[in-house]
Amino acid sequence: MTDAIQSAEPAEAPVARPGIRHELVRRPLWWVGAVLVVGFVLLGILGPWLVDAPRSDQGPLLAGPSGSDPFGTDDLGRSVFSQVAWGARTSLLVAVVASVIATVVGAAVGLLSAFFPRLDTIFGVIVDVMLSLPPLPLMIVVAASLGANLRTTILVIGLTAWPEVARLIRSGAQQVVSMPFVDAARIVGERAWTIIMREIVPSVVPLIIVAVLMIASRAIITEAALSFLGLGDPSAWSWGRIMQNAQRSNVLSFAWWMTLFPSLALLLTTLGVSLAGNQYSDARNRRLHQRR
Amino acid sequence: MRRFILMRVLRAVATIWAAVTITFLMLRLLPGDPAELIAGEGASEALIENLRSSYGLDRPLLTQYVDFLGGLLQGDFGMSYVQNVEVASLIVDRLPWTLLLTGSAFILTILVGIPLGTMAAVRRDGFLDRGLKSFGIASSALFVPSVAVLLLIVFAADLGWFAIGSTQDPNASGLAWLGSVANRLVLPVLTLVIINVGPYALTLRTNMVDVLQQEHVRAARARGIAERRIIWRYALRNGMLPALALMGLQLGALAGGSVLTETVFAYPGIGQLTHAAVMQRDYPVLQAAFVALAASVVLANLLTDVMSRVLDPRVTT
Repeated sequence: MTDAIQSAEPAEAPVARPGIRHELVRRPLWWVGAVLVVGFVLLGILGPWLVDAPRSDQGPLLAGPSGSDPFGTDDLGRSVFSQVAWGARTSLLVAVVASVIATVVGAAVGLLSAFFPRLDTIFGVIVDVMLSLPPLPLMIVVAASLGANLRTTILVIGLTAWPEVARLIRSGAQQVVSMPFVDAARIVGERAWTIIMREIVPSVVPLIIVAVLMIASRAIITEAALSFLGLGDPSAWSWGRIMQNAQRSNVLSFAWWMTLFPSLALLLTTLGVSLAGNQYSDARNRRLHQRR
Repeated sequence: MRRFILMRVLRAVATIWAAVTITFLMLRLLPGDPAELIAGEGASEALIENLRSSYGLDRPLLTQYVDFLGGLLQGDFGMSYVQNVEVASLIVDRLPWTLLLTGSAFILTILVGIPLGTMAAVRRDGFLDRGLKSFGIASSALFVPSVAVLLLIVFAADLGWFAIGSTQDPNASGLAWLGSVANRLVLPVLTLVIINVGPYALTLRTNMVDVLQQEHVRAARARGIAERRIIWRYALRNGMLPALALMGLQLGALAGGSVLTETVFAYPGIGQLTHAAVMQRDYPVLQAAFVALAASVVLANLLTDVMSRVLDPRVTT
């Protein structure tokens, strides 16, 4: 039944429409983003195997970059290079897990509110309230109360970021809910769960990909911000923590290497992730326009 | 119109109430006893018991909640765990400086963003337009402390142009005092403007591109009105409104940015107070700082909402 109605839509010429992959590989910025993301993931996975763990006997205190310490050393004589390499794993872990949490919760709320108008009012109010509160201060209060560790960081970021995903998925899903094939599925007596999973989810998959990348890039920045404010896991290396050490020992204004190198790592990583997301949604939009 | 404002006010009140409730529940429902936290490690059982009753922590949760709300309505945030001062007086000391900092950054972002976005829209795909697009995308990847420390090292430490670590020179008076306030404001404000201006100008640009193709603009051109007047008077008015609403949404990010910037420049506002409270685990201060920031954001948001509505009655949401 649903098939019949879908195929009743005007047929499209199958050849004329190039896939999104063809659109993407022609974009140099997509390649820049992809290379940066792959580099980050490799560093996160392999870094701790290839580079020595940061130790306080790695060099003199607060030495600038040199041949033996390419990124310099911190106030306890630990190599900043080691800390950056080891910090990548924390960023990677937070980015992946927090964006999965935010996307799963956000997509569930977004899909349910698009499908059940009654839930939409309740969820709408919650999403509105969450989006009206300043996100970083909210995370600071919650993280400080829960105690600083990696699990807290991930949970706090994931559970603060979902409303934005919910809003994105909801608006995408609402367009699909009003389509005839969804009505058809309802009339045949398909259960809500089946309709959502079979008819609606496939059409919002591209939005979900965009959401994951958007939240991942934000999660990396937020983890750094929480660590910078002293709310990071004291036993995990992190890019924000390097800068926090500089801040706490009052050397921010002269030990530039303690800021520059973690900042560059952060910039390249988040730039890569946002570029990938940006180019993906750009390519998708262009493809949608060509279809018309 | 009256109904619209009433709804917005109700929503703002509900949001502030949610912020207050979150902070209340965070401390009370978590494992660990606040009284033990205040007393510090190795305190005697009698002292803890004493603290528990003096802070009202031995009463039922609902009673505590009602007392907490009642206290807040009278501006009573309790006592700091670390310093022997009322939390409310700390907030009253600090909040004006944060409002000055974020307010200046907000206005400057708009003042820089409007010409930037408009000129980019007028010369589409020109040099400025491409530059703005790249900068707008890169902005989301900028880490506030990175930008702040860069400015700190170059302009405060190396060149010595700006003082940091305070909001004013207590020995100066009159114009010199105003100058000292402005001097300490420059770098934190600049940091926040650099972070926020890209996305703002980019949104304005997109709106302006749309507006410049609309019929009333074409009609104005047909009547022979000068292009400059069309762009800056006719089109900008319409293009600016959605950008104003966007800036309202950005307020939350601005508040978060102020925490990070104030920490880097040791600028004693609410943000720096937040950081200090985190380091010392001074929960009542932390909660009050959050409530103050959240309430400021919600109220400023209410203001931009009502302003957009007054400027453009077509806005329906």
